[in-house]
Amino acid sequence: MIFFNNKSKKVSADAVGGVKMQTKSKAKSNFDLSRKNAWLLWLCQCLNISVIALELSTWMLAIIALSLAWQALLLHQGREKGNSLSKNKTVSGHTHRQNSRQNSRQGTNVSPIVLGIFALLGCVAIVITAKEVGILASMLHLLCFSYALKGFELRSRSDFYQLLLLGLFVLAASLIFRQDLAFSLITFALLVLTLAVLLQFFSFEKTFVTNIKVVVILLCQSAILAIVLFLVFPRLSPFWQVPLAKSAETGLSDTVKPGDIANLTRSTKLAFRADFGQQKVPNYSQLYWRAMVLEEYDGRQWSRQHKFTRNKTAAAAKNFSFDNSATGVSPLSYQVLVEPSFQKYLFALAPSVVTGDAKGIQAQADHTFNNSKIISQAKSYRLTSYLTAPLTLELTKQSRQLNLSYPQGSNPRLEQLALQLQHNYVDVQARAQAVLNIINKENYSYTLQPPLLKNNSLDQFFFDTQAGFCVHYASVFTFVMRASGSPARMVTGYLGGEYNGVTNTGDNTGKLANKGHLSIYQYDAHAWSEIWVEGKGWLRIDPTSSVDPERVNSGWSTQLLQQQSELNNDLFSLYRMKNIAWLNALRLQFDALDYQWTRWVIGFTTKQQYDLFKNWFGQMVSWKLALIIAVSLVISMSMLMLFLHLLNRSKTKPQSLTKWQILYQKSMAKLAKQGMDKPSSMTVNDFAKEVRQQCPELAIVFTRLSASYNRLCYQTLSTNEQEKLMLTMQQQYQHFIQVLKK
Amino acid sequence: MPQTPPIVDIVQASQQSITAILNKIESVVLGKPKECRLALACLLAQGHLLIEDLPGMGKTTLAHVLATTLGLSYQRTQFTNDLLPADVVGFSIFDNETNRFELHKGPIFNQVVLADEINRASPKTQSALLEAMAEQQVSIDGITHELPMPFFVIATQNPLFHAGTYPLPESQLDRFMMRLSLGFPDLKAEKQILLNTSQRTNQTSADSKGNSKADNEGVIAEAELIVMQDAVTQVSVSNDVLEYIIALSHVSRRAYNGHISPVNNTDTITSEISCKPLSPRASKALLQAAKAMAFIDNRDYVLPDDVQAVFYVVCQHRLEMQPNRQLDASQLESSSVARQILNSVDVLNPLGY
Repeated sequence: MIFFNNKSKKVSADAVGGVKMQTKSKAKSNFDLSRKNAWLLWLCQCLNISVIALELSTWMLAIIALSLAWQALLLHQGREKGNSLSKNKTVSGHTHRQNSRQNSRQGTNVSPIVLGIFALLGCVAIVITAKEVGILASMLHLLCFSYALKGFELRSRSDFYQLLLLGLFVLAASLIFRQDLAFSLITFALLVLTLAVLLQFFSFEKTFVTNIKVVVILLCQSAILAIVLFLVFPRLSPFWQVPLAKSAETGLSDTVKPGDIANLTRSTKLAFRADFGQQKVPNYSQLYWRAMVLEEYDGRQWSRQHKFTRNKTAAAAKNFSFDNSATGVSPLSYQVLVEPSFQKYLFALAPSVVTGDAKGIQAQADHTFNNSKIISQAKSYRLTSYLTAPLTLELTKQSRQLNLSYPQGSNPRLEQLALQLQHNYVDVQARAQAVLNIINKENYSYTLQPPLLKNNSLDQFFFDTQAGFCVHYASVFTFVMRASGSPARMVTGYLGGEYNGVTNTGDNTGKLANKGHLSIYQYDAHAWSEIWVEGKGWLRIDPTSSVDPERVNSGWSTQLLQQQSELNNDLFSLYRMKNIAWLNALRLQFDALDYQWTRWVIGFTTKQQYDLFKNWFGQMVSWKLALIIAVSLVISMSMLMLFLHLLNRSKTKPQSLTKWQILYQKSMAKLAKQGMDKPSSMTVNDFAKEVRQQCPELAIVFTRLSASYNRLCYQTLSTNEQEKLMLTMQQQYQHFIQVLKK
Repeated sequence: MPQTPPIVDIVQASQQSITAILNKIESVVLGKPKECRLALACLLAQGHLLIEDLPGMGKTTLAHVLATTLGLSYQRTQFTNDLLPADVVGFSIFDNETNRFELHKGPIFNQVVLADEINRASPKTQSALLEAMAEQQVSIDGITHELPMPFFVIATQNPLFHAGTYPLPESQLDRFMMRLSLGFPDLKAEKQILLNTSQRTNQTSADSKGNSKADNEGVIAEAELIVMQDAVTQVSVSNDVLEYIIALSHVSRRAYNGHISPVNNTDTITSEISCKPLSPRASKALLQAAKAMAFIDNRDYVLPDDVQAVFYVVCQHRLEMQPNRQLDASQLESSSVARQILNSVDVLNPLGY
């Protein structure tokens, strides 16, 4: 706390100096930003915009890059000018000051008209594209555009403040789109940088590193207030529509065709996490996270059932319950934390029910779950699964028909094979096994780089290329089953997951551990099949297991990993990371941290807040809640006010000019109008002498005034004496004015 | 302020003696009133004085007249490159009659020691003298001897580009409160000097002889000098002046910080002044000298004018990177680093830069 006081005093003293200087040279309004600070500010701009760059459209990025490059150019030119000047400088103080002004950033000589036109054009472009990109994105464009342009007109101190404030806004806006720990840390670092640039402006005799330290300390001190606000501030739902532009990039999509998921597996982004609490994590080969069931096939791609038909079946299956299946099957309860996917589907292990808060989650007839809104923020829900229980035992006529249909003649060779199989094997499961056997015995390979297929022809894959990824095998299998007359469907989702036991990070197979969570990444995306067997319901068949058993039993084989790292061409690819033990340990540690962050900080929603209040203050009534929020806000605000008050008091002490200082400054201003400026480095006595030389009629009165001022300022006087002298000085001032008027 | 009346009284009481002293000095060192005041201020501020100038500019004369007018014991030592530390400090010698070692005190056991051409002696001897200056005591054969009070060293040195000089290192230059430079006299003064020399051949010859209690009696007594020196330390300093001094030294340090870390390069507004930073000892000396100036000016409080008056002589030798003594002293002062630093600080609002 002591340290803090010192700091605030120091800062305020600096600020006071600045204020005084400003009042004195208001007419000139010379705003000097040193070269180093100007570059720092520029760097700050670049970094802040780069955080949000992904959300901006290309043309806007181009404009911003252009204006930043222009600014850099101007800065660079200014430096050359400054250098050439300083070479032939004469060392007198005057030219010296001129020099420094040349050096400063205000030398950027872009005419305001050009800038105005540029800004106007940019705004028009933003308005035109607003409809396309949505209101939030266009506002963001406007923010970034102004942030980039503001750098051109740094003429006064308030411009400098505005620029920094805009930077903080940009940082805050970037958190709308991503909130994971790594990104938050980056944003925090940039926040520190921005504030340090501000501090550097005022205390430039210190090194930048010390300033950064100061900023970090100040931020840590303000964290108390931040935590209070975090806990009690009412959570308002966002009043903007988060754009869907990113959906293509992450996650599974509604339709799937051979080759799709292979692309997805290059991404090492997190899809979701599952926390099994104290329970034993199931075997890897049981972790089939179902996301979507794709029942329609048009010869090229698999897609979900049409909406209206789906609604019908869903209604039919509404009253479905697990009462019968729960007997004898041990339930497995777990929590799922979904990262924002900008899709509606949720993830669940085979037959499961939502326990706990089911708001907004819709169970589908095919045992998948949908969120009622697009998932744009991390979401968590609890599920209970019965791993070995069969899925739906009944098959409606309608869905039977759907799961048998395929475009006739789309893959003639496969159809032929199917007919043959139908003839040979009457039992559906035996038939399925036969298909798997073919895949297993023949020379099929499992690869991330499947050769392209003409029209997504399954024939071509199955008989010619014979190399594919999970979707290929699942497609072929489902197709053959359908063609042979047994209902089959395609399921997409994720398989497995990486176990992260925070306590025993070395073991990531996840079979022994008692505490930890599973992280499921995009590269765990998978597709498999389900066939309908009379009396047993929908059975899961994964054709991938017969071509690459390792993938199903324990995850990616080394060969696949190698392939992935080659494809990604990434230094920090997963494969390489996993090979270096300490790096992997570090990654897992960070993952665990990120999990806690997502769970406790991002997952702190209205409900959690409500529960917290309930824990602290007992049963919640709405007036009680309002009271708590109000009181805590008042308390935190008053803390802030108190702090500001203290700051102000320490500021006003030196700032409030003494009476004699005001008087002397007034007289100086009067003299300045007469053309007699006092150079700041001149003492009061010397100035009086100067005045005596320049206008002798003023000499006597002004010298007296100066003498009184000197005594008041520098002599140690008792208050009594001071008052007396002050009176005389006031009289002298009146005299001075009178003489001046004459 | 309980002790204010005594200081005011002392200041006023001393004015007469001060004018008398100044008159006396100025009558010998002609046409240099400013330098004479500064030299006196240095003495009153209990600092040591270094006079640097070309040979024959009246360095020795100034030192000599200072010592005699103040009525202090005085001895001059001519420094040469074979001078040994014992020649300055003194040594013990065995006396056959008493069968004891007897101390032969060196010239340093005087109140005013004039070390002439200090930069011609070897560094070893230089440091012996300078150590005594700092400690106010010397050790001979393991016995510590206090030096007399008041103790005042006036050293003269030739400009460094002269042959056969050992330049004083910065650390030792720092021991001198002021470095004065007399410079050439103006026309009128030189004429008078020429006239005077023919009249007073006696006195000049006494200069070269070393220990001299020549024609002059001291203008004031030793006790009075000590009272004045005490009073100088009690001259009051307002917060504004303190901040002014701090601001001045900060400006000099800014460039130094920049020198160390390449990040903080020298393009902030004023840090283009390239100089060595001022140490706290330097600012202390500056304050003390300013107080003495105020005292001489019949004030019991320090004005920024006092600080400005002494800033060049107190700080220039601690600031400059390479001494460049070819120019005339007055010309140098107007373009010196010290002047630049003074120019960059606002007197009325020092810490605002």
